[in-house]
Amino acid sequence: MSSMFTRNDPQKPETKPAEAKVPETPAPTTDPVRRAQQAAAQPLTPPSQAAKGVSVISRALKITGQLESSEDIEILGEVEGDVRAATVRVGSGAKVRGTVTGDEVELAGSVEGKIEARKVVLTSTAHMSGDIIHQDVAIQSGAYVCGQLKPEYSKTGTNVQPLKVKAE
Amino acid sequence: MFAQSRRAEVQDQEPPASRLGRTLKVTGTVDMDGELYVQGTVSGRINAIRVILGTESHVEGDVVAQEVRVEGHFSGRIFALHVTVESSANVTGRIFHNTVSVAQGARIDGRMPWRPPSYFETLTQLPETRP
Repeated sequence: MSSMFTRNDPQKPETKPAEAKVPETPAPTTDPVRRAQQAAAQPLTPPSQAAKGVSVISRALKITGQLESSEDIEILGEVEGDVRAATVRVGSGAKVRGTVTGDEVELAGSVEGKIEARKVVLTSTAHMSGDIIHQDVAIQSGAYVCGQLKPEYSKTGTNVQPLKVKAE
Repeated sequence: MFAQSRRAEVQDQEPPASRLGRTLKVTGTVDMDGELYVQGTVSGRINAIRVILGTESHVEGDVVAQEVRVEGHFSGRIFALHVTVESSANVTGRIFHNTVSVAQGARIDGRMPWRPPSYFETLTQLPETRP
């Protein structure tokens, strides 16, 4: 029996790291997917902060019509129509068909239509088909863009207003 | 297996209640498969399972849901099995309900017709055609 224990004792440290390695290896394999999803979702959904003042159009929500706000809008669902707000964030998986107007527009989902904003950010998961009218644009590699990029420097201060007028 | 279950959990966590903030104005149809919290202005139609019209909400149009709680300004029609009208509410129009509760202090102008539960089942299938 003592020999059994002595045998087991050296074996245990061997088996332990082996066991420990097994869950470690699948964890990183599944992690990148989740991390990528979370990374894509996180800058757009800090839920505790978002829940306070921001309007959230969650995944299960679909809006047909116009959306207007003087504050921020976070879209994770589907919108068919125009969106106008100070900051518009279109999360990954979200779909917007129409014109997105704002001071800042961050896109991780898909927009079919037009973006008019002072600052436009297209993340790697963005899918944009249509024109982008901007003063400041950032496009991460991986983003799909089909359309024209037009810089609009006409007025620097309150810029959403003049763009609105042009759109209508 | 683990990865799938974890993903499912993540997905369960992700769709929280939607919220239409104070400054938000929606014109058109709002379709929600879950709970919707409205603080802003909506003119049009709201379809959801559970709707809370907050104290500062101004809603005009139809609301179709299983459960509706009204705390704000509403004019139009509500079609819901369970309706709660809070004391801060100001409702104009019709409330089609199966069960309703109205808090003291609420202002209601209109009719509150009772309907059997079957009425609401058919309503969810054909929300557009019903009066």
